[in-house]
Amino acid sequence: MTAFWIIFTGALLAASSGILGSFLLLRKMAMIGDAISHAVLPGIALAYLVAGFDTNYFLLIGAALFGMITTLIIQWLDKRIKMQTDASIGVTFTFLFALGIILISAFASQIDLDQECVLYGEIAYVPLDLIYTASGESIGPRQVWILGVNLIIILIAIVAGWRGWILSSFDEEYARSLGIKTTIWHYSLMMLVSLTTVVSFESVGAILVVAFLVIPPATAYLLSDKLKVMVVLSVVFGVLSSIMGYYLAWVLDSSIAGSMAVSAGMLFLLALFFRPKEGIVVKWIKFSK
Amino acid sequence: MYFCTMRLALLLLATSLLFISCDDNEENNNGMKKIVVTTNIIYDAVEFIAGEKNEVIGLMGAGVDPHLYKASQKDVLKLSSADMLVYNGLHLEGKMIDILEKMKRTTTVIAVSDGVDELSIIRSDEFATPDPHIWFDAMIWKQAITYFTDELIKWDPSNASHYFERKEKYLLELDQLNIYAKELLSEVHHSQRVLITAHDAFSYFGRAYDIEVYGLQGISTMSEFGLKDVSELVTFIIDRKIKAVFVESSVSEKALKSVIEGCEKQGHEVKIGGMLYSDAMGKRDGPEGTYKGMFSYNISTISKGLK
Repeated sequence: MTAFWIIFTGALLAASSGILGSFLLLRKMAMIGDAISHAVLPGIALAYLVAGFDTNYFLLIGAALFGMITTLIIQWLDKRIKMQTDASIGVTFTFLFALGIILISAFASQIDLDQECVLYGEIAYVPLDLIYTASGESIGPRQVWILGVNLIIILIAIVAGWRGWILSSFDEEYARSLGIKTTIWHYSLMMLVSLTTVVSFESVGAILVVAFLVIPPATAYLLSDKLKVMVVLSVVFGVLSSIMGYYLAWVLDSSIAGSMAVSAGMLFLLALFFRPKEGIVVKWIKFSK
Repeated sequence: MYFCTMRLALLLLATSLLFISCDDNEENNNGMKKIVVTTNIIYDAVEFIAGEKNEVIGLMGAGVDPHLYKASQKDVLKLSSADMLVYNGLHLEGKMIDILEKMKRTTTVIAVSDGVDELSIIRSDEFATPDPHIWFDAMIWKQAITYFTDELIKWDPSNASHYFERKEKYLLELDQLNIYAKELLSEVHHSQRVLITAHDAFSYFGRAYDIEVYGLQGISTMSEFGLKDVSELVTFIIDRKIKAVFVESSVSEKALKSVIEGCEKQGHEVKIGGMLYSDAMGKRDGPEGTYKGMFSYNISTISKGLK
């Protein structure tokens, strides 16, 4: 079951981040996952200062809170102040991360406190972290339930908000003229992103989440210019990366999260070279004719 | 066109799903029970005591920082197939401890630090994380090993006398190491008994063998060091005319280099006294690949450097 649970967890993560990542990519916010992975540090420090050690739930709440604050500030700088998107992301997360470092070195320097060892999980440990019912039956890994519920929330949101999100992603002016409240759609997407990233960090670690939010959507973007197709393809490529990655890790006896991210990268390269019409190989063949 | 790519992608997905069913079958282990151990320092003791009757598997190799350790695919299979898990505890293994604790439901899990008397555990203050480096005081490590053996005997009473005998042998070695350390370090002049390292791994060592200990970083190898820490340490080294600082096998030496440079600028020569093993031992087949080898190597390096 080890292999199955790890791949299944990877697939659940790939589905959530493939959907959200496609929208983020179109909004030039693909690196927001990386930003959140750093910006949660002050949340962790504050949670510790308020609640003390050995309080995992407080840490998660603190991190989630700062994940949301991060996306809110980014969104605000981007839309209201009209700052460039990359700058909005850069300013927000470096500032928050630095704030976290200062909080820790000023108030908690003797404590082992950083997101890497108190918050971030590791996909390798998923099959070991089982939930048991009162009668002692195992009902699968904790992370599968968490990521599963998260995915269901995203699916419900996307079905309910598809039109709003699409229109506000592509053409804000037009969306507003149709009476769509674009701000609400922006913020709801951002809330979903911060919830998903923080929950996933806790379950499987940061690198995999950041990779799955960017690489499969970018691969899908190369192959399609319809959003619906792009979303489906990113999910497919994400799931494929989890499967390939697990076996790569098996062959090399290496880090599972690392191998999954590398597999996603390899799929991207394949798409880059071999995609129809504009692929590098296709162009080269045409050129040499 | 889109449907073509979509179909291709789905086809790829379907074929790769076919592969999921394989692997996961553990190699047979000739009926011996599996004991999986985190750090190679604990592995040394567990292998010595329980190795003849059980298959003992170490997870972290030479020079691995337990804080930064990432489980590989095979490590996960080792963990999930273990009959007993042994770890240090006191946050040494970072977030992995959460998982080990949860595995108590189905497996025997032993934290050797649970055997150490609460009052001997070093904390910088009441609320701080306890210092996990208990193996540097051979007498405290004895408590940990004794506790482990007691639990081992409870788990496998049929080999109780064998385990007990092996434990006594191991503890004897620890006693000898303790005497050796005290003798060798007594040759260092009192004013020079100062051990400066990159991170605070040697508090237990310092307390046991009467040496002042300064670490540039906190007890975690992950924490950042501040500028003030460096300049304070430089002043301290010059004031006390310290001759040597020490680097560690599992921590980058970059941080200490800045201290050495700081001293040089103020005209005080301080050398690197050598490399100490802190969170991990050396390679298994080398001389520092055992607890005994590692411990005596550290002692002789320190006494040579400070004399």
